[in-house]
Amino acid sequence: MTAMPPPPASQNGMTRSAGRSLLWLSVGAAGLFVLLLWALGFLSGMTGDEARASAPGVDFRNNAIALAASQEPPQLDSTRTSDQVSNFVLGHIMEGLLRQDEHDQVIPGVAESWEVRTDGATFHLRENARWSDGKPVTAHDFVFAWRLVVDPKTAATYASLLFPIRNAEAIIAGKVPPESLGVVATSDRQLDVQFEKPVPYFEKLAAFTTLFPVREDFFRSRNGTYAANAEDLLFNGPFTLTRWEHGASFRFEKNGLYWDKDRVKLAAVDVPYITTDSNATLNLYRDGKIAMVGQSPGLGSESLKQALVAGWPIHQMRDGSVWYLQLNFRPDRITRNHNLRKALQLVVDRGEYVYRVLKTPGYVPAASIFPVWLRGAENLFRQEYPAPEVAVDVAAARRYLDLAKQELGLTEWPPLVFLCDDTPSSTKQAEYFQTVFREKLGLEVRIDRQIFKQRIAKMQAGEFDIVSAGWGPDYDDPLTFGDLFASWNPNNHGEYDNPELDRWVRAAQETVDPRGRMAAFGEIQRILIEDAAVITTYERGQSYVQDPRLKGVVRRTIGIDPDFSNAYLEPN
Amino acid sequence: MTDATVTNAAGFEPVHVDRQVQKLTRPSLSYWQDAWRRLKANRRAFISLYIVIGLLLFTVVGPWVWTVDPSTQDLDQVSKAPGSDRRAFVAEPYQPWEGVRATVPEGAASTAPPANFKTVGSTTTQAVRLTWDPVAGASGYRIYRNIYRPTAGGALGLPLGDVLSPEQVSFEDRLDLEPMTYFYAVLTLDRFGAVMSPPTSLEVNVVRVITPAQAVERGLVASVADVKVGDELKLALHPFGTDYLGRDLLARLMTGARVSLLIGIFAPLFYVLLGIAYGSAAGFMGGRADSALMRFADFVVALPFLLFMILFKIAFGIGPGESGIFPMLVALVLLSWPSTARLVRGQILQIREEGYIGASRLLGARTGYLVMRHMIPNTMGVILVTLTFAIPSAIFTEAFLSFIGMGVAPPTPSWGSMCNEGIRTMLTTPHELIFPAVMISITVLAFNLLGDGLRDAFDARMRSRE
Repeated sequence: MTAMPPPPASQNGMTRSAGRSLLWLSVGAAGLFVLLLWALGFLSGMTGDEARASAPGVDFRNNAIALAASQEPPQLDSTRTSDQVSNFVLGHIMEGLLRQDEHDQVIPGVAESWEVRTDGATFHLRENARWSDGKPVTAHDFVFAWRLVVDPKTAATYASLLFPIRNAEAIIAGKVPPESLGVVATSDRQLDVQFEKPVPYFEKLAAFTTLFPVREDFFRSRNGTYAANAEDLLFNGPFTLTRWEHGASFRFEKNGLYWDKDRVKLAAVDVPYITTDSNATLNLYRDGKIAMVGQSPGLGSESLKQALVAGWPIHQMRDGSVWYLQLNFRPDRITRNHNLRKALQLVVDRGEYVYRVLKTPGYVPAASIFPVWLRGAENLFRQEYPAPEVAVDVAAARRYLDLAKQELGLTEWPPLVFLCDDTPSSTKQAEYFQTVFREKLGLEVRIDRQIFKQRIAKMQAGEFDIVSAGWGPDYDDPLTFGDLFASWNPNNHGEYDNPELDRWVRAAQETVDPRGRMAAFGEIQRILIEDAAVITTYERGQSYVQDPRLKGVVRRTIGIDPDFSNAYLEPN
Repeated sequence: MTDATVTNAAGFEPVHVDRQVQKLTRPSLSYWQDAWRRLKANRRAFISLYIVIGLLLFTVVGPWVWTVDPSTQDLDQVSKAPGSDRRAFVAEPYQPWEGVRATVPEGAASTAPPANFKTVGSTTTQAVRLTWDPVAGASGYRIYRNIYRPTAGGALGLPLGDVLSPEQVSFEDRLDLEPMTYFYAVLTLDRFGAVMSPPTSLEVNVVRVITPAQAVERGLVASVADVKVGDELKLALHPFGTDYLGRDLLARLMTGARVSLLIGIFAPLFYVLLGIAYGSAAGFMGGRADSALMRFADFVVALPFLLFMILFKIAFGIGPGESGIFPMLVALVLLSWPSTARLVRGQILQIREEGYIGASRLLGARTGYLVMRHMIPNTMGVILVTLTFAIPSAIFTEAFLSFIGMGVAPPTPSWGSMCNEGIRTMLTTPHELIFPAVMISITVLAFNLLGDGLRDAFDARMRSRE
């Protein structure tokens, strides 16, 4: 007889054993779950992200600070770059012939002395300026970089900044080779620049990112990957870029080979967070993970309310930009009609728009394309040449509108296309104008929301009637705004073409006498307002919150902003 | 027999035969009556039915009762929660102010705070005008505004702006003034823009004002002559508050409901009908036709909705700033029917083999009769389940697409786009998010519960069961 099967367990016993095994199973599952969580936490700690991110925003132990950036630097090749974040990074890791001090005065950089004449300039380079591999910074590095900027193959956004240098315009147009640029390295330590015409602001230009040096042998050794990664860059500025994980983080550390290293107090500036989420950065500041919030772009009215309630020290800086409604003057657009533009201009109430709709402190209504802070001949430009006043007048606007209707031979107004960015604040602004134009003039407005790049592309293609756009200054001279609506300016996206205006722009460019120049800018201002060529809306200011223990940060309207090269930590 | 009674046939009558005694009494109920009876018994479903009817009234009749234009901006009441204070005083229109200029005293630079910090004129929501005494050596002034009483060394609040010249000893604040108490502070700046002195502060009570012209524009009074300066008025009532441009939330919810319910009801209705037709055809034909039809349905399932939504938008020539509702409806109908079709086909395949169908066929029933009399009613349960899920999911789809900006074009609101706008200000003015979000939740829940009840009520197999 074979072995008997065991006697069947009773019903009760079976339930109990099932219950027991179920219990064990669930305990096992819970245990495994805990183990898994622990392992994940351990792994994320190992990758270093966690360790890095947990460092405080103001780190006294390592003499470092942490920040959040709105995006990763898109282009660290100084000859091609054009955006604010890259400019901020390059301003810390490189240095030009000259630089700006904390009061925006031009002081020596790589050049220890210089002379600017009406026909050119000479720079004497200092002996102890070094690249991060120990080799000296020479005049040849500047010649190479500037030739790159004007080379049509580079297609540099800011190539036009070099127009005052001899032959630059012809080189960009492809008529003569880049080698004919009016820049000569007479020795390793002397750079001679020849001008096409007198440039009163050339010193300021020499501190601009586009004119930073690039070393030829290093540039060529990278085979077209120059500035693609931290290893593909050479540094000669107060900091070096020691880490750059694309899209995730970057970090500068103090450059021991920098000629003026004693002025640099911070050991490191870490940017472990790259995000556009304003709530996330606000929370990071609240948790003490970053030393500054809202450095660029500034805090919105919502974030400011939270900062106000939290009692944080709020600062403000003027970013210098002017925002406006640009109108399309292409022949097929109804906005080309003068009376229609007049009607639109007369119903825009800047005060209501800035104080009731935008509600962001630091924003001021812009009566003119020339912002209030621009210097004139002796005083502020706008004190010398006040902008003509245009008061809101709905009745007059309706009369202009009727005239426009007759002139255009329309029986019904077609909808106007209002192009704007797809950010919440731009949409809000567009909706405000949509209602204003509908209620006050009976015009239908269609809002075309696009991402920033696409908005720029559509502006260039002229696919709009009205576009909400802004312009920030590139150099400290009214000309940076004054030539915006010249018929040849590529940024004149509405293709405004007024010979009278063009004549005054030429006059401003060619006059050396400051009074004469300012008179020309005064005329440009008058024409733009009287012809309703552009409807200016506001000048932007940015509000930000900075840890009170971080001192010496320089904010600039024009130039490297924010500048941490003189910043230091001080306990409360 | 003394009590013998004369009886004859005439004295008798037949006993009344009550044939009804043996009959089970119950009024005969039609299919629909029965469904209605069972729906009424289901309290959850019945409440949901009332909510759905209420929503339809809200959408259709609402705008006739609450005639506020949903895109009118009441900039005196921006982002106001329901029940906010609405009092305002009539005042003269705003006049630009040239400010106050004074000669700066000679002498060494002073680190004292500006003295004699005071307001000029009345402090209203139009403007608060501040002035102070000039300070020797200053090259500018900075003005702050706080909502809390300043403490020593504490935060000064919002920096309102800088005055760039030392002679200009005034500042006009017009930034988003509310009827409340503010604490202003002013300090001096040196020529580099660095802070030179401690702040002086000032408490200011702000009164809400409105100009006669604005009062007429907002419809508060008939004409400018009806009010005089100093009168107290009540600003326009917004029962549900206002949004970030001062637009009436109740009016926007009503208009928004139109879009949401349009998509929520019509899209599922069309695609469920399409699905029924397609599924029953496939199921009834069977064989090769069936498998061909179902493979096509599988193909449609694999098409990505969002991509097609965008393609339709382009194909219909919907330009920027135009409503994307119609392509959304088309995309929903054209891409969502296969799930219904599959379910219906499965049911039909099963019912086709039932004995009563065979019997019916033997008795000479034609195909049309079979489908309408037997098959559709027996699949009603399944169809209603599909519809139950379809309506709320279509409402969600619309909300989601409008949330990401693919749906309605501004200024037309929809509940989804209103949520999108409200979420930005969730922490400071939560009502802008809560109202549309609650409307979506209630609608979806009501349709779900109603659908649930309808399924039970219509299910032929549950007939005559409680």
